[in-house]
Formats: sequence, C-alpha cells, structure tokens
Amino acid sequence: MKMNKRTSNKGSFLSRKQFELLIVCIATGFMIGYSYNQAKSTRSTVDTTLFEKEESYREELIVQQERNKELSEEVTALQKKIRKYEKSFVANEKEYEKLGEDAENMRLLLGELKGEGKGIRVTLRDGDYNPTAANPNDYIVHESHVFKLLNELKIAGAQAITINGQRIVANSYIRCNGPVITIDGTQHPAPFVIEAVGESATLTASLNMDGGVIDQLVNENIVVSLEENQHLIMPKVNMKS
Amino acid sequence: MWLPFLGLLFGLALGLLTNIQIPSVYENYLSIAVLAALDTLFGGIRAQLQHVYDDKVFVSGFFFNILLAAGLAFLGVYLGIDLYLAAIFAFGVRLFQNIAIIRRILLNRLDEKRHKKNKTSIE
Repeated sequence: MKMNKRTSNKGSFLSRKQFELLIVCIATGFMIGYSYNQAKSTRSTVDTTLFEKEESYREELIVQQERNKELSEEVTALQKKIRKYEKSFVANEKEYEKLGEDAENMRLLLGELKGEGKGIRVTLRDGDYNPTAANPNDYIVHESHVFKLLNELKIAGAQAITINGQRIVANSYIRCNGPVITIDGTQHPAPFVIEAVGESATLTASLNMDGGVIDQLVNENIVVSLEENQHLIMPKVNMKS
Repeated sequence: MWLPFLGLLFGLALGLLTNIQIPSVYENYLSIAVLAALDTLFGGIRAQLQHVYDDKVFVSGFFFNILLAAGLAFLGVYLGIDLYLAAIFAFGVRLFQNIAIIRRILLNRLDEKRHKKNKTSIE
C-alpha cells in the first residue's frame, strides 16, 4: 500500500519496483496456471484411461465368461453324445464282432483270402465200367453231382471250397462239358477232388447223413471217398475277368 | 495497487492457455517452483504489511528460492533421496507462518478501525 503510494507519488506510471512486482506476479501466475493445466490434463487423461481400461477389461471379461458358458454347454452336450455313443457301442459290440466274423467269412467265400485250416477232402470218381448198363451217363460224375456236394458243404458251413485245387468263389460257375466239367473257364476231368475248410466233424456228418449226398451219389454209381484233413491250404483266387 | 493482481491474472491466463506438455519427470520441479513462488509472494505481502518491504530482497528471493528449490529437487533425483521434500517442508512451513502473520496484522487493523469507529460514534 505504502509502496504504491510512494510510486504514485513519484509520478512515473511504471516504476522499477512496480515492474519487478509485475514480473514476479506474472511469473507466479503463469506457474500456477501452467501447473493447474498440467494437473488437470494428466488427471483427466489418467481418469479416462483408467476408466476406459476398466471398461474394456470388463467387456473382455464378460465376453470370456460368455464364451466359457458356451464352451461348458458344448462340453456337456459332447459328453452326453459320448455317453450315448458308448451305450450304443456296448450294445453293438457283439454285433460288431459278429459282423467282423461275417466279413472274414465273406472274404473266404469270395476267395480274397487264403483258406487254411481243418477240413475234409471228398473224391468223386467215375463208376467202374459196367457193360450191362447201356448208358455210360449212368456211371460218370456229372456236374449236378458236384453241385449237390457243393451245396451240402455250403449248408454244413464250409468256409472255402476247392475243386481239383481251384477255388470256388461266390461267382464261380460250373458247366458240364461232355466228359469234363468247366469251372470258371478251366476244364477239369474226373476224378474230382473237392476240398472244404470248415468243421470237419460237421461236414462229414452232414455228408454222411442217411439219404444224404453221399448215399445219393453212391446210388448213382459214383465212387466217393471221404477223408478228414487236419491242414488244408487253399490258394487265393487270381482275380480273373 | 491493482497492477500486481492484473499481472497475476495475466500470468494465470497465460499458464492456462499454454499447451506445452512437460515430461512427468519434471513435475516435481514444477510443484516446488510453484510453492517457492507462492512463499515469496506471501512473504512479500507480509513484509509490506510489516513495513519492512524491500524490492531487491523480494525479487532476488523470488528467483533464488525457485532456483534453490529446483536445484535441490534435481540433486535429490540424482542422489536417489527425496530432497525436494525438504524444500516443500521449508516452503510450506514458511507459507503457513507468513499467512498467519498476515492474518494477525489484518485482524489487528480491523480491531483498530472498529475502536476508532466506536470512539467516533461515542463521541
């Protein structure tokens, strides 16, 4: 107050003292204002960044939780499915085993596999020449006899059959061709050696039934010999067109 | 009388309008400088009220205090000790003392004025 009075008394508008005071005040004001500005900007930025971060994290968390929920639902659904599969698997296991066996049998039947195992061997021979019989057809082996025998063997559960070493498969054909028979294009003369892999006891029993195949064949003057074999080997079929 | 206040307002406006960003490392210096400036300002007011004001002391104190405080803070940063706390403490204590003295002086004056008024009214 006194200073002002003094300066004003001196008469100059801006004395040295006043000028100094002005500079100091401007500097102080500048510093205060500047630091206020600085603090405000940092405060606001910190606040907003924190807030944004929190918000983004929260959103992320929500997204993750939703995803977790979805995934856990998926897990339960999948587990349910697995249980269902397991149940059906247990139920079908026996069926599958049977199917596997069937497939094996089918392959044997198709000749894709080498047949090997216990079995029987049946030899069909033409009957001895009988001059009293007018017709030689009465004592030679016809393809119908072979058919009968094959049929009986198949019924009895033969897994693989050969005639004179040639494999009989599902689509094999047998034709009468005069004194010989043709199997899949190959001619075979008598005697016919028919081998069958399977339960030899069953096969023998079924062939030897009263009034069965062997009886019928013998009735038609065919020499039939039957033997059981412990180890038969049948070749694979060469896939011919 | 109003020139310093105008100057203060001008400086405030200038400070608010400047948009320069200083690194956050130097914010300590700024706070100490502000404290020193405020201390000097209030010291000046107190001296004025106590009729011991000297403009040389005032101006030199203003700049020297600021520089000293900043230097102390600088040293503290390099020594790993929070030396700027000393400056803050000193300036804070002095600020409060100055303001307290200013308050007492003003209160005394107010009392004197009232006494005078009472005297005049009684008379």
